[in-house]
Amino acid sequence: MAGALGRAEPGSSASNHSAVHSRSVHILLIEDDTEAARVLVTGLRESGYTVDHAADGREGLSRALAGKLDLIVTDRMLPHMDGLAIIQQLRRARLTTPVLVLSALGTVDDRIRGLKAGGDDYLTKPFAFAELLARIEALLRRSPSAAAESTVLRVADLEFDLLARKVTRAGEQIELTAREQKLLEFLMRREGQVVTRTMLLEGVWDLHFDPQSNLVDVHISRLRQAIDRGAERPLIHTVRGSGYVLREEEE
Amino acid sequence: MREVRRWGLFNTSAFRMSMGYTLLVTLAVCVTLGSTYLLTQSIIQGDVDLILDTELRSLENQYVRSGIPGVTDEINLRIDSWGRIGAVYMLADPKFERLAGNVTNWPFDGEPAEPWPEFRIESIEPGQSSVHPVRAAVRKLPNGDWLLVGTDMSQDRRYVRTFQIATLWGIGLSILAAGIAGFSFSFRLARRVGHVTDTCVRIMSGEQGHRLPVIGTSDEFDALAASVNRVLDRLEEQTRTLRATFDSVAHDLRAPLHRLRTRMDAVLRLPALEPGIREPVESSLREVDRLQRTLATLLQIALAESGAPLASPAPVNLGELADELVELFEPVARERGLTLTGRADHGVIVEGNRQLLAQLITNLLENALKYVPSGGRIDVAVKRLAGHAHLVISDDGPGMPAEERQRAGQPFARVGQRSGLEGSGLGLSLVSAIARLHRARLTLESNDPGLRAVVTLPLSAAQAPSPASLSRSMSA
Repeated sequence: MAGALGRAEPGSSASNHSAVHSRSVHILLIEDDTEAARVLVTGLRESGYTVDHAADGREGLSRALAGKLDLIVTDRMLPHMDGLAIIQQLRRARLTTPVLVLSALGTVDDRIRGLKAGGDDYLTKPFAFAELLARIEALLRRSPSAAAESTVLRVADLEFDLLARKVTRAGEQIELTAREQKLLEFLMRREGQVVTRTMLLEGVWDLHFDPQSNLVDVHISRLRQAIDRGAERPLIHTVRGSGYVLREEEE
Repeated sequence: MREVRRWGLFNTSAFRMSMGYTLLVTLAVCVTLGSTYLLTQSIIQGDVDLILDTELRSLENQYVRSGIPGVTDEINLRIDSWGRIGAVYMLADPKFERLAGNVTNWPFDGEPAEPWPEFRIESIEPGQSSVHPVRAAVRKLPNGDWLLVGTDMSQDRRYVRTFQIATLWGIGLSILAAGIAGFSFSFRLARRVGHVTDTCVRIMSGEQGHRLPVIGTSDEFDALAASVNRVLDRLEEQTRTLRATFDSVAHDLRAPLHRLRTRMDAVLRLPALEPGIREPVESSLREVDRLQRTLATLLQIALAESGAPLASPAPVNLGELADELVELFEPVARERGLTLTGRADHGVIVEGNRQLLAQLITNLLENALKYVPSGGRIDVAVKRLAGHAHLVISDDGPGMPAEERQRAGQPFARVGQRSGLEGSGLGLSLVSAIARLHRARLTLESNDPGLRAVVTLPLSAAQAPSPASLSRSMSA
């Protein structure tokens, strides 16, 4: 979140989305703050999503139960029905639609409650729009491919043998620490997806707060040194205002 | 709780009280039985002495009436009574040679010093011989002869001995009975007080729904449990209200900030934005992010200082966490020309919230990173010391003035705000708030040179030292 300026790069992100989703992705936003909701809906539509908006909990639940949705983004505190209650109702109805919880509470245990209720991710308000986009992307990608567990990850000529804990680039072995391997695995599993600093802190270090130091940047630059040094085509790219992405760039 | 459990039952006031009671009972029994014994003995002795005195007097009268022959006759007459009542007589000349009586030799060395001398006599009867204790009285007759009258004490001695044994048994049994009663009394008391302690500990560690058992005996314990439960109900209600208020405050502060940020984000997404607009909006956005971080810190401090207990605490391996954070910060430290090292014992487990503890260590590390000049050292250590977990983060930087170090523990104390350096100065306040929330103590010491932050946390009950588990199984 820190310093994430949410600057969209319409060209690259639009092409990215169209490449991933063959049909239109349907998102339901449940948010009672109409002003904030309006801006979010516009932003998400610009990013290529089909967005529905519900302004209170009851309406949100009925739409969530009725429509064929790919993702639900819900506020935590809503009139008529709490965001967590909506998730519980959904899960009781055996609906596995991924849910992203937005909360203005942001305490440590509120986050735990949100995930315990069946939420798939949690974001504290205020957040950068780029952060929201990255997390939506991550949740959408996660659902279909989660079953396909492979023991070897491959991106271009970079290979990570998860069982042998061996990383090679163009056949040459690269020595990495356990934590660097975890960081690389996190990026490789999300190939082509923008991963924010906050997502990395949460996913790799299990830290759910914002340190002031540029910790993630330093670790990424070390990983870059190991993976991309001397390589013709670097794989780790910085996305200005958002985070990082690991992908093979067609030049 | 662990302090109480370490010595278990023996350390309870109930035990000490009942031991005192036992001692008192023992003393009372000893005094009663002992004085009865002494009294009985002296009564028996007094009876014997009276008889002996009477006998002597009657023999002396005989001497006055009819001289030595009269006494001799009288003695010979009475000798037979040895077999029946155990009477002993002897008449001896001035040289203590026997003249008459049923004692063969003068039993003393000359004239006995004490008024009621005692000696042993061997009685020779057909078929058996036995030694008897004899209590005697001696009188010198006017002609220089010696008159001795004695009585066999074996019957009385046996009686006294029996009494003695009975007394000792009595004392022993009453000590035993008082001991058992005291032990079971203090055991029961300790168990019921233990329920109270256990419940309090569980509530303090986050199980807020927990209440004391009211058994229904309507004794003082039930009354205590009921009133403690009422207090707990009220506290829980207050905590709920506090959290609800807190949530709505957090919501009311974050919602407008969120709208502001979302709108600015939308502006930045406009196509073909002029740099004259983009730049001020971007810098305002950075300001919003900083404001949001400060707000998050303030809210967290406020929540921690409000006295609301830590929600859902769990065992956290403090050693592992410290090492992970050292690993995370090490490249950043190296980039700034600092050496960051970690020495953590991975067996140190505390009860708490992993995220908050990580935030605590992070803030202390970032504080050190901010102030220690290039070339300096920062060290993170986690160890177990005197039944507590110790987290020590030390550096060799410029340190902190003593009075500022002392203020660091106070809520919202704006310490660590050294001139020329950016920072809200809330970092250490958050550290001390998180420490308080974990029933931990934060002390800032001089590292000569530099600063040493020491956080002392209670160890998780999951790894209590062995004596505690021993007494726990005892009182279970």
